[in-house]
Amino acid sequence: MEALIGFFGDKLHVSGTLALSLAYATCIGSLLGFVTVYAMFAIWMERKVAAHMQVRYGPMETGGWHGWSQSIADAVKLLFKEDLLPRDANQVLFWIAPAIVFCGVFAGLVAVPFAVGVQIADVHLGLFLILSLAAVEVVGVIMAGWASNSKYALFGAVREAAQVVSYEVPAAVALLVPVLVVGSFRLGDFNAWQEEHGWLVFHNPFVVVSALIFFIASLAGCKRAPFDLPEAESELVSGFHTEYSGMRFSFFFLEEYVSMFVSSLLVATLFFGGWTLPFLNVSAMPAPVGLVVLLAKTFFFIFVQMWLRWTLPRLRVDQVMAMGFKYLLPWGFVCVVATAVFEAQGWRWLPV
Amino acid sequence: MEALELYTVDERDDLYTEELKLNLGPQHPSTHGVLRVELKMDGEIITASRCDIGYLHRCAEKIGENVSYLQFTPYTDRMDYLAACNNELAWSLAVEKLLGVEAPERAQWLRVIVCELNRIASHLIAFGTYGIDMGANTPFFYAFREREAVMALLERPSGARMLYNYVRPGGVAHDIDESWLSDVLAFCGEFEKRWAEYNQLLTTNRIFIGRTANVGVLPRDMALAWGCTGPVLRGSGVKWDLRRDVPYLWPYDEIEFDVPVGEGTHGTLGDCWDRYWVRMREMMESIRIIRQACARVPSGDFMDKAMVRMYKSPLKPGKGEVYMRCENPRGELGFYIVSDGGTSPLRCRARGPSFCNLSVLDALLPGCMIADGVAVIGSLDIVLGEVDR
Repeated sequence: MEALIGFFGDKLHVSGTLALSLAYATCIGSLLGFVTVYAMFAIWMERKVAAHMQVRYGPMETGGWHGWSQSIADAVKLLFKEDLLPRDANQVLFWIAPAIVFCGVFAGLVAVPFAVGVQIADVHLGLFLILSLAAVEVVGVIMAGWASNSKYALFGAVREAAQVVSYEVPAAVALLVPVLVVGSFRLGDFNAWQEEHGWLVFHNPFVVVSALIFFIASLAGCKRAPFDLPEAESELVSGFHTEYSGMRFSFFFLEEYVSMFVSSLLVATLFFGGWTLPFLNVSAMPAPVGLVVLLAKTFFFIFVQMWLRWTLPRLRVDQVMAMGFKYLLPWGFVCVVATAVFEAQGWRWLPV
Repeated sequence: MEALELYTVDERDDLYTEELKLNLGPQHPSTHGVLRVELKMDGEIITASRCDIGYLHRCAEKIGENVSYLQFTPYTDRMDYLAACNNELAWSLAVEKLLGVEAPERAQWLRVIVCELNRIASHLIAFGTYGIDMGANTPFFYAFREREAVMALLERPSGARMLYNYVRPGGVAHDIDESWLSDVLAFCGEFEKRWAEYNQLLTTNRIFIGRTANVGVLPRDMALAWGCTGPVLRGSGVKWDLRRDVPYLWPYDEIEFDVPVGEGTHGTLGDCWDRYWVRMREMMESIRIIRQACARVPSGDFMDKAMVRMYKSPLKPGKGEVYMRCENPRGELGFYIVSDGGTSPLRCRARGPSFCNLSVLDALLPGCMIADGVAVIGSLDIVLGEVDR
């Protein structure tokens, strides 16, 4: 950010508010561009992953090579679709809900360190910020379900509300474990710490458990199978976005993929070394190397999410809550306490 | 209670709860066709349900009274369109009984093979769509891959892929080609491996068991009282299979096979998982039957000679009435024909398994959650084409 302000100051001879706004605009623009391209790729990837698991090819025609431009074609189609507002819907809420859903998750990317120095805002409570911004999304989902004036959408919204309490708490508790070890909420510190001490998952056995808890809870956070209850196609048609179509619908879609990205990125950054690699000093290398490493790890976890989605059946709503409160949460607490003991005693799983 | 009834909307607090009426269908991803279920919901829990059927009513029985006996055969295909051969068989046997004709030996064995192949294809759909109902999309594609193989096999003698019009009064429509039997046997070997995969993917999945065990429990007495048949009845632990108990084709008497029944493996006897598992094991029994039948197909006519002569003009059975029932993939399909000696039946009535099995739905749903409701509908494995006829 400061670098950008300086850059604009030098090259364009602007300063103060103008430089700041230019820098902001550049950051948001590039992030939005990145997110759009990523989402298109991820959707294409999801279709390919699903197809190959289901003994078929998926998109093969559009664009020539393995249907690479299918998502672009879909996006263009969605852009040109009629913008429908159901007559009896609550017009304002219906209109604003997709924006809230998307913005919440998108804004979280601000605090993400992609590589050394590639970060828009180096927030001290970065982890906190991302989690709380991601929780805003739920408000939008409930708004959408309520405003649609459809019973299926309402069911989806109520399920989301019920689900959020059962996964947000275990997720937050599980994240306390790496925070406890590193002693910081700033995401950059996790990279630096792991560069020095090795990946956090290898730190002690309870970090592994907390990584699992966070990954499972983040599946629920992204409304991905087996926790896709708010959408639950076979039960609620499309759940909260049943009444949405065209570009508005695509924002829900975009949000799902962006939140997959954020949660996978958090797993990679907090537990699996971020941009660091064992036996290599990535931090000393040029920033793009770190970026590639981090993205590779992120996409691995995105792939795992897809893999699970196309393998597992869906849980029932009471089973999701039971899972959150009866298994994930107590184990999360066990991990926090045990890690605290490990840290106090200076124990390690592996000698590092 | 009285105070509640006196309550008017204006006097209510801002926050209140009420029961919600939810229309599940007729356009809904998991009602397996155009079934509409009116549900009364208390939150996620179903408190009352009422099935509304008839969206696919095509006057099949009335058509039967207006066309000739032979012409009605393809119409029976379109009742339970997933088990066309089995429908034709029930109709053909009823007409044969009315005429006093019996199909030649070769035709009898071929009928066994095509009907069991069709049973596998039908159960594969039940398996695949049940996976989708539970939110697992992948088993569906696996099931369709094998169903495709069955359809390709059935296409060779019949020329059709889904609605075969192959089994006809007096025998079967065409003879099989030379390599057909060996190809059927090759499919059997392949299918056994695939079947094990299905179980790894879905049957033994913890989430799947959690979603289906102890859900939609249909006790033995209730299943009998409501007239359930087929896997729904057997899932409740009643060992009743027409192929074994009333062999309508004599080859079934000479073949060794088991009748799988529900055992309450993961929960209560007669839950959704039991019904599902009965269907899965029935596929394996069908493979056993096909293997034995393929070894015993004799040479000879595939159509009764007297019947071929009769086909030159519309069939005219004497006065009388018959009832013939067969074990379809979904249960007992019966045809009741009254003949006044004319070229078409005076009365043609079908007793459909899906219709009778569906009737129990309203009794099973109250108390379930909406996700369980979908599981129950799927486990009854209805085909609306045959419910509405």
